[in-house]
Amino acid sequence: MAPTRRDVLRLGAAAAVLLPAGAARASNGVAEAVAAFTGGAVPVEGGVRLDVPEIADNGGSVPVRVAAPGARRIALFADGNPRPGIAVFRFGKLVPPDARTRVRLARSQTVIAVAEMADGTFRRASRKIAVTVGGCA
Amino acid sequence: MATPRPRVKLPRKIAAGVPFTVKTRITHPMHTGLRHDGKGRIVPRRIVNRFSVRFDGEEAFSVDLQPAVSADPYFQFTMAVPGSGLLEFHWEDDDGSVYGLRRRIAVE
Repeated sequence: MAPTRRDVLRLGAAAAVLLPAGAARASNGVAEAVAAFTGGAVPVEGGVRLDVPEIADNGGSVPVRVAAPGARRIALFADGNPRPGIAVFRFGKLVPPDARTRVRLARSQTVIAVAEMADGTFRRASRKIAVTVGGCA
Repeated sequence: MATPRPRVKLPRKIAAGVPFTVKTRITHPMHTGLRHDGKGRIVPRRIVNRFSVRFDGEEAFSVDLQPAVSADPYFQFTMAVPGSGLLEFHWEDDDGSVYGLRRRIAVE
C-alpha cells in the first residue's frame, strides 16, 4: 500500500523528535577515533594534564601541553575539526610523558587527550577552547 | 616548496641523568589536503607524518602526526641521558623524503 499523506507527516514528526538538538552539526567521528586508539576500552577521567589556552586568537597555531605520569602513549583529538585525530606521542624510557606542540583548530571546540598507561589502561582529559579565527585543519 | 629545514635546540651543557629540554621544529607547510588554491583546485595533502628521536639507536620519543598539527611542526619535551651518546632526529614526509639531524651529546 502506498503511504498516505498522513503517514508521511507522522514519520517526519517522529524524526524531528528523535534528532537531538545538537545533531545539527554532524560528528567528525571523534568517539570512533578514541575507541580505535584504546581498542574499545573506555578511558577513565583524570591523571592527564592538558594545557590549552581558554581563548585562541589564531586557530592555525594553538599551543598544547599534555602530560600523564606513567603513560607510554598519549593521543590528542579534536571534536570540531574536519577530522578528529591530531597526533599520537610515544615515550621511551629516557623521555617522561610530557610534551608540547602547536595544533590547528578549525573553530571553537573541545580538545581531548587520551593516555595509554604502562599497565595498559587508558585515562583522559578534555578542555574546551574558544577559537577566534579558525585554522585550516 | 622550499626544502624543509629542521632545527633542534639543546642546552649547551648536559649532565648524565639530569633532565634537559629539547625543542625541535621543521619548516614545512603541512598541506591538509582540504584547502583549495587560488584557482579552485585542491592542494594535495603533504605533511610530515612522523617524527622520531633516537638516542644511541634506541627510540626515545616519537610522534605520529595528522594534518591538524600546525605548519612548521614544533615539539618540545624533556629527556635525561645516562651518558654521552648520539641523538638522532628524523622527520618523515608524505612524499617519501626523510629529513634528519644528529647531535653528539658529551655529558660533563
